[in-house]
Amino acid sequence: MTTPEETPSSRSRPSALDLYETMVRIRELETRIESLHYSGKMHGSFHSSMGQEGAAAGVIGCLRSTDLVTSTHRGHGHAVAKGMSPTTIVAELLGLQAGSSGGKGGSMHLHDIGCGFLGENAIVAGGVPWAAGAAWASRRLGKDLVAVSFVGDGGAAQGVFAETLRMARTWGTPLLVACENNHLAHSMPVERTFGEPGSIAAWAAGFGIRAEYVAGDDVFGVHRIAAEMIDEVRITGRAAFLEVEVWRVRAHSLNDPDYRYLPRDLGKSHLQTHDPIANAERSPELSDAEIAAARERVTQEIADAIEAAFEGQAAAESLATSGVYTEAFEREAQLRGW
Amino acid sequence: MAGELKYAEAIRRALADELASDPNVVVMGQEIEALGGVFTATQGLAESFEGRVLDTPLAESATVGWAIGAAMAGLRPVVEIMFMDFIATAMDQIVNGAAKLRYMSGGQITVPIVIRTPSDAGTGHGPQHSQHLETWFAHVPGLVVAMPSTVPDAYWMLRQSIRDDNPVVFVESKYLYFRESGEIGPESRGTAHPYEARIVRNGHSVTVVTAGRMVAESLAAAESLAVDGIECEVVDLRFIWPYDRETLAQSIERTNRLMIVHEAVQDFGWGSEICSWAASELFYSLDAPIRRLATPRAPIPFAAHLESALVPNRTIIESAVRDLAMH
Ligand SMILES: Cc1ncc(C[n+]2csc(CCOP(=O)(O)OP(=O)(O)O)c2C)c(N)n1
Ligand SMILES: [Mg+2]
Repeated sequence: MTTPEETPSSRSRPSALDLYETMVRIRELETRIESLHYSGKMHGSFHSSMGQEGAAAGVIGCLRSTDLVTSTHRGHGHAVAKGMSPTTIVAELLGLQAGSSGGKGGSMHLHDIGCGFLGENAIVAGGVPWAAGAAWASRRLGKDLVAVSFVGDGGAAQGVFAETLRMARTWGTPLLVACENNHLAHSMPVERTFGEPGSIAAWAAGFGIRAEYVAGDDVFGVHRIAAEMIDEVRITGRAAFLEVEVWRVRAHSLNDPDYRYLPRDLGKSHLQTHDPIANAERSPELSDAEIAAARERVTQEIADAIEAAFEGQAAAESLATSGVYTEAFEREAQLRGW
Repeated sequence: MAGELKYAEAIRRALADELASDPNVVVMGQEIEALGGVFTATQGLAESFEGRVLDTPLAESATVGWAIGAAMAGLRPVVEIMFMDFIATAMDQIVNGAAKLRYMSGGQITVPIVIRTPSDAGTGHGPQHSQHLETWFAHVPGLVVAMPSTVPDAYWMLRQSIRDDNPVVFVESKYLYFRESGEIGPESRGTAHPYEARIVRNGHSVTVVTAGRMVAESLAAAESLAVDGIECEVVDLRFIWPYDRETLAQSIERTNRLMIVHEAVQDFGWGSEICSWAASELFYSLDAPIRRLATPRAPIPFAAHLESALVPNRTIIESAVRDLAMH
């Protein structure tokens, strides 16, 4: 794993350490965000991906910087893995002008076109057709890129999800749908909707596309299969589907604090059995010295990022109604009282 | 007459001309490729523009979402939704995606898509194929709503909409597709801004604000009223959002009477917005209460006589305007 090898996209694969470090970066950022909420310095919704970092790091680790990603309401990890700056993310979560959307988007609406992160989407499964269409259009425009769309097990029940897989089969598009099956759609157990782990992939296979299952607590395993599938998607231009089983450690969101539908300590026990970070640390791929150095680097980096974000200014209130239409349109609107 | 086109042909011509002038334009929809569209709007285009006029599966939501993604990646997709009623199945992608992406992304993303869709009663298609839903979209920040009433507008407004970097819901008149004909002529929109309304008949008695196929009905009513000396000023709104307040205000200040006519259901319809705007901004210019004339609160029935009992037409408009002029 540690020796870089060439992919058909002539991108050197990330090392085990890269994958590990990405996971730690996501965990550290989200842990800090959580504390900022608890200390009253941040407001609004927040869906933690704690415990699911193996999916974000493993899958996005296979992508080039020009490849595209769409995400969900639980997408900070995807944004970080795709290269979005933690400072910009935190500034957005603080509602500041320097945030990725100038404070207009917030936690469920991170977008960074510059690094190919087309964005989160708070409408469950709403981003799946965006990734499909963007990948398809890019291919037509002569760009050799692929798109990955993250979606949850709950999202897999949405109509637009099925429609997009059908359309992907019909038109062809270099798309990998990465379905993070974290066993729950808020409080609805996936066993009730789809069945055992792997059953979402089995269902997706019925659309006539390649569909696989992988356990997400092993980032190296996720990366291995995702890399193989993404290479295939890139070469064939055909869509594929990867169900990544992950374990949600936190409540659905910070607005769901009592966790009444599950045993209170379930999340903690997930961290003991299925933590992709602890598993990576136990693997022979990484030395103790590498782990310690990575942790130190990342802790410092995130601390600096948060400090930098806090220096930002709030956006002017007058901006609340701007940026809805194009600039030319809004100039006319201003002039003519639309 | 040579050079005359039907409304549906004007749409097709606009698509062809935009496909020819911009390689990034693609057309997506159901039955538009081999069949050429159920209203012939894309007939022959798939052959002339290979690989750019494409049949989708029956999946409106994924189709619009796909178009949004394609727009993010640099294309200018035009989506056909076969009947406006079916747009309900794509609502999320239009309202939460196309309309909000620019705002949500802090200006990083623009979504230059056009969603073309035919509306109107009058063709015997019944309740799920006849409703005018443009008000829904006029209510959503981020969208432009176009509703052409003539052949030249069908052509020029569609071309303008495809070039618009904002997402446009383009409401076509299926009643006029094969009834209305005319010449495209040179682009004749106003010079102030792209969304101008047009005064299509001058008069001093009453301002009738309308759009789509109700423009022709209002003009016919105006001709009958003229016999009795009632001169309507008919304003074709052309765009439901943004609506051209300057042109409306100028007209209302001349006539001092306002009637709004549309085919969408009256309650909470776009006429209510114009009524409310005029009541608060032009109160002292008005000599009579503002009147709305629109479809009552019912789905569009199948039977022709039931249908015409609901939807405004020249006769009903004539008597309503007469009342208002006498007020
Ligand atoms: C269309 C839509 N319906 C419902 C919701 C409310 N909601 C937000 S997240 C969620 C559960 C999603 O489950 P899943 O897709 O498995 O993602 P997870 O939260 O487990 O990451 C629900 C019901 C929503 N945001 N969008
Ligand atoms: Mg879930």
